[in-house]
Amino acid sequence: MWIYEKKLQYPVKIKNKDVRMAKWIIEQYGGADGELAAALRYLTQRYTMPTGKSKALLTDIGTEELAHLEIIAAMVYQLMKDATIEEIKEAGLAEYYADHDKALFYVNAAGNPFTVTYIQAKGDPITDLYEDMAAEQKARSTYEWLINLTDDPCVKDPLRFLREREVVHFQRFGEALMDVYEYQNSKKFY
Amino acid sequence: MDRQRCELMRELQEVSFALVELNLFLDNNPTNQQALADYNMFARKYEELKKMYESLYGPLTNFGYAPSKYPWQWVNEPWPWE
Amino acid sequence: MQKRELARAYIPRQPYVRLFPLREALMRGTIFPNLYMPYREKDR
Repeated sequence: MWIYEKKLQYPVKIKNKDVRMAKWIIEQYGGADGELAAALRYLTQRYTMPTGKSKALLTDIGTEELAHLEIIAAMVYQLMKDATIEEIKEAGLAEYYADHDKALFYVNAAGNPFTVTYIQAKGDPITDLYEDMAAEQKARSTYEWLINLTDDPCVKDPLRFLREREVVHFQRFGEALMDVYEYQNSKKFY
Repeated sequence: MDRQRCELMRELQEVSFALVELNLFLDNNPTNQQALADYNMFARKYEELKKMYESLYGPLTNFGYAPSKYPWQWVNEPWPWE
Repeated sequence: MQKRELARAYIPRQPYVRLFPLREALMRGTIFPNLYMPYREKDR
C-alpha cells in the first residue's frame, strides 16, 4: 500500500526557465536508466526476493525512486514554466509540444517513449541484484552527464543530490547481494 | 511560500532524509543498535515537526495519516512541484 | 578472512561510523561521510 507525502524529498526552486535543459533532464523521467525504470524494476523484483531484508530493501528503494521521479518532474515543470512557443521551437521541443503541450510525459531526451523492455525481473535474486547494481551505475553516469550540461546551481544541486543517491543505492544492493549469497549457501548444508 | 514555511519545510526534509538513509541501512543491518537508536530518535523529532507544520499549513499526508480542518485541506495549493 | 570465490562480486559492508549534521546530509545526498563520493567535473 502506498502513502504519498506532500513534500519533495529535496527542494527544487528553479529561477530561470531553460527549455533545452528540460528536454535533456526528461531522460531521467522516461529514459532507460531513469527514475521510472528504477522504481518499476525494484518494485516488481521485490515479490520474488528470498529474505525479509531483501524484500524490505527493494520495496524501500523502489519507493524512494518514485520520490526521485517527482523531483525530476518538478525540475522539468519549473524549467518549462512560462516558456514561449518560440523558445520551445528553438530548443527542439516542438514535436513534444505538439503532442503534450507542457505536460510531463514518459519519454527520453530523444523523444522515445518509455518501455518496460528497459527493465527485467529474472526471478533469480542474484541475477536481479546484479541488474540493480548496474542500474544504479547507469543512473549515476547519466546524472554526471546532466550536471555537465548546465551551469545553473539551482539545477545542478538537485542533480548532485540524485547522483549521490545512486552511489548509496549501489552500496545497499551490493550488501543485499552478499547477504543473498550467504543465505543461499547456508541452505546447501543439511 | 513565506520564509517561516520554507524553513520549517527544510527542517522536515532534513529529518525525513536522515530517516530514509537510516531505514535503508537498517534493512541490511537490522541488528545495529546504534543505527536503530538514531532512527527512533529522528522519528520522534519528525513527528513533532510534522505536527507543527501541519497545524500551520495543513496536512502533509492523507488517507487518514493526518487530520484536516474544515474545509478539506488536502486539496490546498501549492503542490510540491510548484 | 574467508576465501574469495571466482565468478562473483564482493562488496564490503559499510561500517556505521558517523553521521553528517542534518543540513549537510541533505545537501550532499547522504548522511554517511564514508559513502560521500562527489562528482568532480574536471575529471571528465
